[in-house]
Amino acid sequence: MSFTLRSVKVAPNSASLEEARTRVFDFFRSACRSIPTVIDIYNLDDVVSPSQLRSSIASQIRKNSHITNPKVIDMLLFKGIEELNNVAEHAKQRHHIIGQYVVGTGGLVQDLGTKDQANSNFLKNFYEGNYF
Amino acid sequence: MASALRSAMLRRIRVPVTETLTLNGSKWNLFNNVRSMSSHDDHITKEEVIHRVLDVVKSFPKVDPSKVAPDVHFQKDLGLDSLDNVEIVMALEEEFKLEIPDKEADKIDSCTLAIEYIHNHPMAS
Repeated sequence: MSFTLRSVKVAPNSASLEEARTRVFDFFRSACRSIPTVIDIYNLDDVVSPSQLRSSIASQIRKNSHITNPKVIDMLLFKGIEELNNVAEHAKQRHHIIGQYVVGTGGLVQDLGTKDQANSNFLKNFYEGNYF
Repeated sequence: MASALRSAMLRRIRVPVTETLTLNGSKWNLFNNVRSMSSHDDHITKEEVIHRVLDVVKSFPKVDPSKVAPDVHFQKDLGLDSLDNVEIVMALEEEFKLEIPDKEADKIDSCTLAIEYIHNHPMAS
C-alpha cells in the first residue's frame, strides 16, 4: 500500500479552467505513452491495439467533458493519475484491464454474453452507455 | 555499487584494437561520408512522411477518409475536438517512434504542420 501512496503526489490546484485543461491533455499524453508498457505487462497484444486503448482512454476523458469547475477537474485528474499508476505498476490483473478498457469499446473482444439482448430501448442504451 | 561494477568490468574487458578499426574489411576512414551506425543519414523522404501521416489520420475512427488531404486542419476541416487532436498527435508519435515535447505537440493542429514537424525531426523513422 505504501508504495502506491508514495507514487501519487497531489499537485496544487489549477488556477483556471485553461490550466486544468492543459493538465488533462498532459495526463492524456502520459497515459498514451505508457500504453506500450501496459500492453506488454498484461499481454494484451492479441486482444487490443494501441490505438484502441488510446480511443478508450479518450472516451473516458470525454465522458467528463461537460465539467467546467477546475476543482472538480483536478479531482478527476487525480483519480485518473492514481488509476494510471495502479495499472502501470501492475497492481491490477489482466481481466481488470480487459473488462474496463477493452470489452465493449469497439475492441477486438466484444461482450456478446448471455445477458438480456436488449428487449427494451432503455436496457439497450444502458448496456451501451455503461462503457462510455 | 555502479562504480564498483563499472571498474570491475573495465578491468576485465579487453577490446582488440585492430578489429575495431577495421570495418567491412577495409580500413576505417574518419572522413568517410557514410556513417553506417548513424541514425541521421537514412532520413525518410517528404513523400513517405506525407503518405504515412495521411494513413494515420485516415485510420482514425472519427475521420472520414475521403476528406483527408495533406493540407486539412484537424478541428476546422475534419470536425474533431481538441482531445482528438492530441490523440492524433500521439498516434503520429507512435507511428514515427518520436516523443514530441508537449509545447510542440500543442501547436500541431493540421496535417501541414504535422508533416513539416516530422520531416524536420532528426529522429523520425
